[in-house]
Amino acid sequence: MKILTTIKKVVDVELTIRVENGAIVEEGLQYVMNAWDENAVEVAVQLKENNQAETTLVSIGGGEDNTKIIRRGFAMGIENGIQIDDPALAAADSFVYANVLQKVYEKGSYDLVITGKQAQDTDHGQTGIILAERLGLPCVSNVIAIDVIDDQHLNVSRLGDAGTEIVELTLPAVITVTDSINEPRLPQMRGLMMAKKKKIEVMDLAALGTSYDEVGGTTPKSQIAEFMKSETRTAGQKFEGDPAEITTRVVALLANEAKVL
Amino acid sequence: MANVLVVADIKQGVLKGSTAELLSKAKALGAETAVVAIGSGLESLIADLVNAGSDTQYIADDSKLELFSAGPYASCIVDAANQFGADLVWFGFSESGKAAAPRVAAQLDAACATEITDVMLDGDQIEIVRPAIANKVMQRVKINTKHLVAVVRAGAFEAAEAITGTENVVQLSAPEPDLKAVIKELLSDASGEIDLADADVVVSVGRGAKDQAGVDLVKELASDLKAGFGSSRAMVDGGFMAHNKQVGQTGKIVAPTLYMAIGISGAIQHLAGMSGSQVILAVNKDPEAPIFNVADYGIVGDLFEVVPILREEIKKLRN
Ligand SMILES: Cc1cc2nc3c(=O)[nH]c(=O)nc-3n(C[C@H](O)[C@H](O)[C@H](O)COP(=O)(O)OP(=O)(O)OC[C@H]3O[C@@H](n4cnc5c(N)ncnc54)[C@H](O)[C@@H]3O)c2cc1C
Ligand SMILES: Nc1ncnc2c1ncn2[C@@H]1O[C@H](COP(=O)(O)O)[C@@H](O)[C@H]1O
Repeated sequence: MKILTTIKKVVDVELTIRVENGAIVEEGLQYVMNAWDENAVEVAVQLKENNQAETTLVSIGGGEDNTKIIRRGFAMGIENGIQIDDPALAAADSFVYANVLQKVYEKGSYDLVITGKQAQDTDHGQTGIILAERLGLPCVSNVIAIDVIDDQHLNVSRLGDAGTEIVELTLPAVITVTDSINEPRLPQMRGLMMAKKKKIEVMDLAALGTSYDEVGGTTPKSQIAEFMKSETRTAGQKFEGDPAEITTRVVALLANEAKVL
Repeated sequence: MANVLVVADIKQGVLKGSTAELLSKAKALGAETAVVAIGSGLESLIADLVNAGSDTQYIADDSKLELFSAGPYASCIVDAANQFGADLVWFGFSESGKAAAPRVAAQLDAACATEITDVMLDGDQIEIVRPAIANKVMQRVKINTKHLVAVVRAGAFEAAEAITGTENVVQLSAPEPDLKAVIKELLSDASGEIDLADADVVVSVGRGAKDQAGVDLVKELASDLKAGFGSSRAMVDGGFMAHNKQVGQTGKIVAPTLYMAIGISGAIQHLAGMSGSQVILAVNKDPEAPIFNVADYGIVGDLFEVVPILREEIKKLRN
């Protein structure tokens, strides 16, 4: 089984993010591998270990930080890495990314594409599903468990509205995985050292056999016009002291002040 | 004038409130409205669909559609969108909506946006507003296509009272099942419980409750209040709570009148799922817990002491 895992460099969401003049202030930000993509990498590596799968990752993006997340994927156990680095793609939307990923898929031959459920910077959760549509492949999103039946079939569990849906998937297929599927391993020192020596196959759009125009870059379906501060809640009243006394006071406030009881 | 097609949110045979909320918003924007309902045994829901404010009802009612499958579900929506001439296709927040929306958008060659909190129409120009980066920022997004498929964030729009629609039912033919992604089984989570998405009050339990006894204690508080009973991820990972009870970025997004966070630290992924609540009460023994930064009322204390008193005081109040 040949697996393609997609990984994206995203801003570290634990840091303070400031917005000024309609844009995010870059200063002080750090970038990491999208958390759900770590789950996707872990799925791929487990399939390598348990089912002799061959693993490749792809990341669209540039810069030091992007190289770092690819190396992290190697250190976790992924064998091959492809990086699509083209300055034209800096502010692309999900459709453009999906179109680029389609080209990457078509250049190789893969049985399974694994993406994260969503990217922490966009919070969209659509790129993997659009990719499947583009490729005409079956797709299951929000996957929480995988069970390999044979070379061509997987049973996947997806968290749906009414409970857990068990879906029999015929490969090739695309799945998007959520964080409850596994606990991504931490790369070990030795893995990180070896990862440094591994070669990343870096391509721009021309090398991929396409162009900015062809992947829809010049005609984006949507564009972020501006970033705005989110409405942050402010801390209200906090009570410390005798539990009976403060709890009684808070219940009275919920009833009389907030009027929600 | 814009045409808005709303995808009916039906869970366990019941039409959820988000459908009326989305239709109200569409009417407030001056749009023509239609709804598409997909499932099996929908006949009895038609009156509800009309009462929710739709002027045309596209119905795909077939036993083949009983269990959710993203492919056929998306095909029905695309069919309805084409027949109606929809400019905008809106889903209320649901896992099925999140799975189907990008497919529908790809098939209609439309733009796609999830978690939207507002829509602005100015002639042919569509713009939306949505949170991103775990709610840390908001984005205003310009849509360059004529069509937009969007999943609306829970609680973003309000249902206006006294809007009803007109009955005009159009039957859709059921698409063939997806043979490459065959739904074999649905392991349904405890039904009969209050759906988190609809609940007026939500009580959620976190790792502070430690074990099953702690979870049961907090659950009693939820039952007293007839509240939805939710959880942080820690208690789902710990096996104490079902996956579909998780509130947060990867779980349910809720916006109740009152949210009670009991023994929850307030990680941003949790906050992303509940910070739209009207009033937040937090109980945590650590006065520095980040949950207190968003709570309107905070009780610093041991939940094992505080929850029984809370129950007692609420009972007194109710009598
Ligand atoms: C990609 C990703 C997605 C995630 N999605 C979600 C999500 O959707 N939802 C979610 O909830 N989390 C999510 N998380 C996890 C999140 O980061 C936190 O780990 C999680 O929310 C912590 O749960 P908790 O607050 O119950 O536990 P903890 O952080 O361990 O907090 C327990 C709290 O209980 C308090 N406490 C302990 N004992 C008592 C007592 N006796 N009385 C009162 N208080 C007590 C402690 O002071 C502490 O504040 C996600 C993480 C990642 C990386
Ligand atoms: N630039 C990118 N490079 C590689 N993978 C990506 C990229 N953008 C999105 N993806 C994948 O698509 C998933 C969903 O992204 P999104 O639709 O933006 O939420 C992510 O978890 C990634 O696995």
